[in-house]
Amino acid sequence: MYVIIVLVLIFGLCKACIRRDIFSENTPQLRPKEELVFADYRIEKNVTVNGVDYLQSQVPVGKFGGQFVSSTIGEGPKTFNPFNSKDNISSTMSEIMYDGLVTTNPVTGETIPKLAKSFTVNGCEYIVNLRHGIKWSDGKPITADDVVFTWNKIILGGFGNTSTRDSIIIDGKLPSVTKIDDYTVKFVTPKPFAPFLRMLSSPIAPKHVFEPAVNRGKAYFDGFLSTNTRPEEFVTSGAFKLKEYVPAQRVVFEKNPNYYVINKDGQKLPYLEKLVYLIVGDINNQVLKFEGGELDEISLQGANVARFKEMEKHSDFTVYNIGPDTGTMYISMNMNNRKNDKGKYYVDPKKQLWFQDKNFRQAVDYAIDRKNMVFNIANGLAYPLFTPETLNSIFLNKNLKPYDKDTNKSRELLKKSGFYWDKAGHLLDRFGNHVEFDLYTNAGNTEREAIGVMVKQDLEDLGMKVNFKPIEFNSLVNKLMSTLDWDMVIMGFTGSPLEPNGGKNVWLSDGTLHIFNQRLEGDENSRRYGFENRIDYLYTQGALATKFEDRKKYYDEYQAIVYDEKPLIYIYSPIRIVAIRDKFKNIYPTTLGGVTHNIEEIFIE
Amino acid sequence: MQILLYILKRILQTIPLLIIVSLISFFIIRLSPVDPLAELRLNPSVSKETLQAETQRLGLDKPIIVQYGKWAKSFIKGDLGVTSNGEKVSTKLKERIPNTLLLTTIVIFLAWIVGIPLGILSAVYWKTPFDRILTVFTSIGMAIPSFFFAVLLLIFAVKTGWFPVGGLTSSNFLEMNFWQKFGDIAHHLVLPVTVLFTLSLAGLQRQMRGNLLDVLDSDYVKFARAKGLSEFKVIFKHALRNAVNPLITLLGFEFAGLLSGAALTEYVFQYPGLGRLILEAVLKSDINLVMASLMMGAVMLILGNLIADILLIMTDPRIRGGQAC
Repeated sequence: MYVIIVLVLIFGLCKACIRRDIFSENTPQLRPKEELVFADYRIEKNVTVNGVDYLQSQVPVGKFGGQFVSSTIGEGPKTFNPFNSKDNISSTMSEIMYDGLVTTNPVTGETIPKLAKSFTVNGCEYIVNLRHGIKWSDGKPITADDVVFTWNKIILGGFGNTSTRDSIIIDGKLPSVTKIDDYTVKFVTPKPFAPFLRMLSSPIAPKHVFEPAVNRGKAYFDGFLSTNTRPEEFVTSGAFKLKEYVPAQRVVFEKNPNYYVINKDGQKLPYLEKLVYLIVGDINNQVLKFEGGELDEISLQGANVARFKEMEKHSDFTVYNIGPDTGTMYISMNMNNRKNDKGKYYVDPKKQLWFQDKNFRQAVDYAIDRKNMVFNIANGLAYPLFTPETLNSIFLNKNLKPYDKDTNKSRELLKKSGFYWDKAGHLLDRFGNHVEFDLYTNAGNTEREAIGVMVKQDLEDLGMKVNFKPIEFNSLVNKLMSTLDWDMVIMGFTGSPLEPNGGKNVWLSDGTLHIFNQRLEGDENSRRYGFENRIDYLYTQGALATKFEDRKKYYDEYQAIVYDEKPLIYIYSPIRIVAIRDKFKNIYPTTLGGVTHNIEEIFIE
Repeated sequence: MQILLYILKRILQTIPLLIIVSLISFFIIRLSPVDPLAELRLNPSVSKETLQAETQRLGLDKPIIVQYGKWAKSFIKGDLGVTSNGEKVSTKLKERIPNTLLLTTIVIFLAWIVGIPLGILSAVYWKTPFDRILTVFTSIGMAIPSFFFAVLLLIFAVKTGWFPVGGLTSSNFLEMNFWQKFGDIAHHLVLPVTVLFTLSLAGLQRQMRGNLLDVLDSDYVKFARAKGLSEFKVIFKHALRNAVNPLITLLGFEFAGLLSGAALTEYVFQYPGLGRLILEAVLKSDINLVMASLMMGAVMLILGNLIADILLIMTDPRIRGGQAC
């Protein structure tokens, strides 16, 4: 009996495999960005009905009910407390439940009011007016007390993840937050500080729920609203509220009945009854789950895009090209010139000579064939990148032009610095040392591994000997951050398209992620390179200026310096592609807001 | 009495064993160049102060031997500590153990219920077409790697839509009544159980067949047959009893595998069991969680062996004699 079952299974499998999996070799023609329906997305407007200040949806009125199933890769959220989250998944989950005072316009990137009705900025002073009559999910009103409590006690009090607090200490001083009346709050920063406005998007906590936890101290707060908390205990301001968390399987959110967004008919949104995130272990499983119909939305990469594009014709989903993503891929050389505590150089002195030589770095840059990588590794679904700000950034310096691979230019640059080639074509420096170094990346990331192979080839055309070594992620980070015994590395960061100051940990010379010249404890005062000093200055000034045009000048110059000095050689920035089932309407994905920025307006037809 | 004494002796022996296991695993994990904070360090929005606070909270600023001492002290008190996310290890394990047990007990139960009779049948009908066909299939079952088989079945589930793609429950599980819940879990369990069942069935059937064949060839079976006993009595009363010894040892190992045996399959099917939890813990060097699972594995293995030995003493007079001295 069992035998027969196995036979049937095997037969079914073979048949299923033959039927599909054949797709055209051409790069898919995704619908071009200009044609996208979501370019005309109209953001929600303030309206007052019966003394309550609602936000009103400006898109077509839909039907109520149903659920939207998305997914996250990895082990799922680590906490539901928005102030404790240190990883993306936990932040995403808690942002669904807790709205901030302001948010980002998903189309233009401006800061627009959310939980706040309006705000005014006057130098160091930020006046925020709250909505009258809006409520937490348990029916208690949302007032200035909640805002003042959240800022003074939790954020500025140093509870949970203190990164927000740490980034707004200006000259050793914190901003002050005061209540003017029940619906008005005043924030004052010690100095003009442009990034502060966006920080007002930090979630606001219900005082009546968080106060007892805060009173019990920081250690207790770390475990407050953890993943073991019963869903009934959550009191939220966002469109959804936790309904169920099943470890390693899914997070289910249900509609918040008191949400403050209404549609044109005056009905309270969100339309969807439930929002579900399945927790999946890896990309392959995610793709299988989408194909199996268990997911409604998926981000696609590489070869899957072509396959899905082919399947789209006879399936119930549409593949959208959202535009450049915030991710970057770069090569970095270790420009460290210091000794460790045993008196040994972190980087072999002969290699230091190469990596600290601007001509050498530029030669490497010109030798790299970005277009080839975009076509062969990213399946054409990426743009070559030359600046630290990603292509969708509102601060992108558009004067920095892209260029192609140019081996002759590389050779010229190398000759200028005294490098020469022996008869076999090996590259030697002016002291006669063979140019040979290690190139690392994290094993398991197939994209970076493929880039590594191509970089190795490109550099070996110049006569360099490159030992490409993919190693385990955590070991690699240990090398980059603590032992500093590496030569060249391929890594990636996710940047912010809205706020360059988010990159200060990378670009300030004493930043925690100043990867190309990491300063450990005790090295804080070591000598800076000239361009490092300049970037330090530009970053500080850029944060202090408040007008966009003034800030842009500082950030333009920093991008120009990186473009010229090449401490990080940027390779490409992927395009974000998502597939969403057609039954969902009011879908307006944008490059800045992603798919779910208007989750309350999405409905099922 | 003798058995009790024997058990006591065995339990005492496990103590130094556990100490050695814990020492070796603790030091290997901590000396590996895996940084538990790697992800945080590479996140541009995490500040230096947060990183320092994390290092202190996880005790990474102290020497390894101090860390081990701290861990061992709380372990003896029965406290497994907290994970790197600050959750209690014991609650984490409690979430997952029932899921894994559900899967493995079903598999072991099925495999033994089906495997033993099949083994007996193919030994009795040795070299008949029935035996040959079974041999072919069990060979396939033994040769196919579990993860590969699991992936094949997953693709099968996607293409046909007959089965859910991994997981244990559907997203509307909460709203179901009891029987729907039962059906939902059963539906999700079919594929992972099939994979594990195929593998362990094959091994078990071969083992049973081989043992029984050995015994069937012996003199006392020939004598029993010569005495004119019915074939049924010969096999079940005389041959089977003698053939079952190695299987009892095997049962001990199966017991040890109750919690850890299905890790690969669990991972492929995204099954919310211990395997996936431990794998993720190892990858980010979540020391308390990894140690708890390793210790649990060691204890289960020792216990399994102990149970097998006791069962052997009870079934086999020869061993009973040997243990007495």
